[in-house]
Amino acid sequence: MKEILVLVEHRRGEIRDVTFEMLSEAVRFAKKIGGSVSALILGYGVQEYAKIISDYANQVLVVEDEKLKEFNSEAYQKVLVKVIGERKPFLTLIGHTAIGMDLAPALSATLNIPLTTDCICIDVEDGKLVAIRQYYGGKVNGKVVFKESESYMVTVRAGVFSPEKPEPPLGGGIISIPSPLTDEDVKYKKFIEYVEAEKGEVDISSADIIVDIGRGIKDAKNIPIVEEFAKAIGGVLACSRPVVDKGWLPKDRQIGISGKTVKPKLHIALGVSGAFQHVAGMKGGLIIAVNKDPKAPIFNVADYGIVEDMFKVIPILKDLILELKGKK
Amino acid sequence: MEDPIQKLNLFGCMQCAICSGSCPIFLKFDGFNIRKIIHEAVFSRELPKLSENEVWGCTTCGTCMIRCPRDLKPFETVLEVRSKLIEEGGIPPTIRDALESVYKHGNPWGRIRDKRSEWAEDLSIEKPKEGETVPLLYFVCCSVAYDPRAQSIGRALVNIFRKTGLNFKTFGNEENCCGNEVYHMGEKGLFEILVEDNLNLFNQYNIELMVTSSPHCYNAFKNLYTGINFEVKHYTQLLSDLIDKGKLKFSKSIEKVVTYHDPCFLGKRNNIYDEPRKIIESIPGVKFVEFILTRSQSLCCEGGGGRMWFDLPNGRLAERRIEEASEIGAEIILTSCPFCLINLEDAVKTTGKEDVIRVMDIAEFVSEAL
Amino acid sequence: MDIIVCVKHVPDTAEAELTIDETGKDIRKTGLVFDINEWDNYAVEEALLLKEKYGGKITAITIGPKEAEETLRKCIAKGVDEAIRLTDDLFKGSDGYATARILCSAIKSLNLKYDLILTGAQAGDDGYAQVGVTLAELLGVQHVSLVKKIAEVKDDALKVHRELEGGLEEVVEVKKPVVLTIQTGINEPRYVSIAGVRKAAKKEIKVLGAADIGLKAEDVGEAGSPTVLEKLFIPPVTKQAEILTGDVSEVSKKLVSILKEKGLI
Repeated sequence: MKEILVLVEHRRGEIRDVTFEMLSEAVRFAKKIGGSVSALILGYGVQEYAKIISDYANQVLVVEDEKLKEFNSEAYQKVLVKVIGERKPFLTLIGHTAIGMDLAPALSATLNIPLTTDCICIDVEDGKLVAIRQYYGGKVNGKVVFKESESYMVTVRAGVFSPEKPEPPLGGGIISIPSPLTDEDVKYKKFIEYVEAEKGEVDISSADIIVDIGRGIKDAKNIPIVEEFAKAIGGVLACSRPVVDKGWLPKDRQIGISGKTVKPKLHIALGVSGAFQHVAGMKGGLIIAVNKDPKAPIFNVADYGIVEDMFKVIPILKDLILELKGKK
Repeated sequence: MEDPIQKLNLFGCMQCAICSGSCPIFLKFDGFNIRKIIHEAVFSRELPKLSENEVWGCTTCGTCMIRCPRDLKPFETVLEVRSKLIEEGGIPPTIRDALESVYKHGNPWGRIRDKRSEWAEDLSIEKPKEGETVPLLYFVCCSVAYDPRAQSIGRALVNIFRKTGLNFKTFGNEENCCGNEVYHMGEKGLFEILVEDNLNLFNQYNIELMVTSSPHCYNAFKNLYTGINFEVKHYTQLLSDLIDKGKLKFSKSIEKVVTYHDPCFLGKRNNIYDEPRKIIESIPGVKFVEFILTRSQSLCCEGGGGRMWFDLPNGRLAERRIEEASEIGAEIILTSCPFCLINLEDAVKTTGKEDVIRVMDIAEFVSEAL
Repeated sequence: MDIIVCVKHVPDTAEAELTIDETGKDIRKTGLVFDINEWDNYAVEEALLLKEKYGGKITAITIGPKEAEETLRKCIAKGVDEAIRLTDDLFKGSDGYATARILCSAIKSLNLKYDLILTGAQAGDDGYAQVGVTLAELLGVQHVSLVKKIAEVKDDALKVHRELEGGLEEVVEVKKPVVLTIQTGINEPRYVSIAGVRKAAKKEIKVLGAADIGLKAEDVGEAGSPTVLEKLFIPPVTKQAEILTGDVSEVSKKLVSILKEKGLI
């Protein structure tokens, strides 16, 4: 039975979404090729995670060690080289995330396992593993094939696969694997601490979700309304130049020719006309535009548009989103 | 290396402060004092160290130049400082991006060359053939080509040329930035490349007259380039000529109170004040009122000198222009420069006067009245 | 502090309409403007800032055709000391692993000394985000990816900030020598003037092939790559600016379900 090994990603008390996305895809893929899904958790005090994950996998492997409390590629690598090296799973899935990017290429080189990254689809063709990934900023897709090997590795783009809890839950057994780590094993790299982005120092150019406001905001007293909306959706507030000129938001929130360039995954433009000077700083992601004016140029660059007064739409959107998040 | 103090003849400065007194930037931002900059330069015998706003805030409008009783060009001191910083590499990221874009794509807007003539997709404009005699070459301008608001200047001029039977061509996607702003941002090396490339392009044809949408392009070809062997005009000069010859006829009456904002690069830098007025006043129904700050006193919109890619705090002076227009009772502000058009249009929105004042380029106005 | 920076000369494809070429494995590149990979540009700037503070030598290496020397010249003009271009028909089709192997061989066979190796976190054309970390492993040195800030330089170690998701960063201390893959936004790259690049044209660029760095055909290209890009294809086109219809409540619901479907909320 072919084993599909999924590395569980967790941070600061939470299992990250990409884990469930990978496990769901692994289950779907396993059905296709006649395989089983093993989830692998590295950490310290992670038994609660194992219980949650066991619904999603046929087996849950847990390696507990204080040296694995926070992510450290040196420690993780040593453990994974041992586990993957011994188990030789058909396919290992790791998220294409900050953790995955620090880990997968090194593992692939050490273990001699073919790796391709940031995949949006995995499949078999004529019994062989293939992966689809994007090139040239997402404008072109590519099909990657692998040289014959016992094991393969793929990093998976977050947010592509839909997480589906298996019905009924798979109820995988939880197996403890003793940690192979000694003090000697972790001596070159050390996790120090996390740093939160401070309120005044938000870097909109690295934000995943942006709520972008324009002149349509009309007045400073309306800023709190959009701030609340941004908070609800997990986004960062940004704006076009007139808003900065008025002193309603600081300059570091400005997108455009004389401001910053942004590449979020989701860009919601509220009351933004889409003047070229502003749009020039918008370099990607899904763009949603809300504007009263059906002729506003923003609709030429947006993927979806709502022709409506932004102040009518925001409260409803906010409530719907909070409701959705409350369910999770 | 030539001593900048000698080169600019700064010893001629008598520190009368007429320059800083007239400077539109000093009006809103007392951090930029051109008299003081010259004083420091002369005193220390080298270019002074200036803050980012001081270096990049100047719009090169030329007010200091036309007022200086010693015929100096104070703003050129700023250009020297800019050139020095350009060589050192420490320039604002937005200026850097505009310059890199000109080098890579032939325009400062970060847009690709292939989309340069998208604005004219359905207009079937012809490009000249090699060696062809071109009676009228319409030099569009990067802003008219790419900025959605300014594109209507292009469409309006095409309409006017066609309705008056003028046979014209454009360079299409081969048109390159004229380099006026590049020059005024101090990137001499890049400007030289543009001059060379553009002259190579121009010399492939036998151009008789080139007409520009923008006073900035006009300024570059007329005053900064050497080796141009054809006549260059701003479109207001051409239209004014056509009116003199009775070739520009209006069929509609526009019953509006209009005023005219003199672009700095047309007025102060190139002394073209009357032609735009002649055009406006020949349109039937128009009631023309002058701004209080008119002609050589026109209040800079803060678009020139690289300012389209660099902001000073507290908005642009274009907003004061909108207020001024309200004071004189104007319904439409006319102008004849894509930068002024874009800045005044933005200012109408930030002052919340969309329903009260309209901003138009003279070309658009004329096209409506044809 | 001696630094090696790995740079790539890539096409700017942000606005261009791309078509697949005859081989089916790449895009048609005529008419595209090439420049230094955006992430590598930040890496070069970071190297320059470190040199300004701590002294030392910077060597830039690229794998590419003659045109790639434009990127190396820009690096030299900005203050990089040496530039090396690796080129060979055999390199064609190299994946992330083989690319790292080529760089590793060059560094080893030329006996380049380094305290730090900087690479961009990923390349704008293929986006693998693989070469830097693989290179570290092949060289037997440490690595930290997605570096957003070099906070402290000690005698034998560095303290760096790594960019995590959602605006969070983690601080890591790592022993030198180390490969850092650099994330965009770590600094503001300087401008290099045309005059500056012209001056740099005089500096010699070392050009080396596979044999010069001890590599054989089976080590590189498709032959030496664990993965192979079989073909490129244009993904199905989605409509632009679909206007959602209905009353305020209906459009809001539609929008939320779209966002949910795409995994964005």
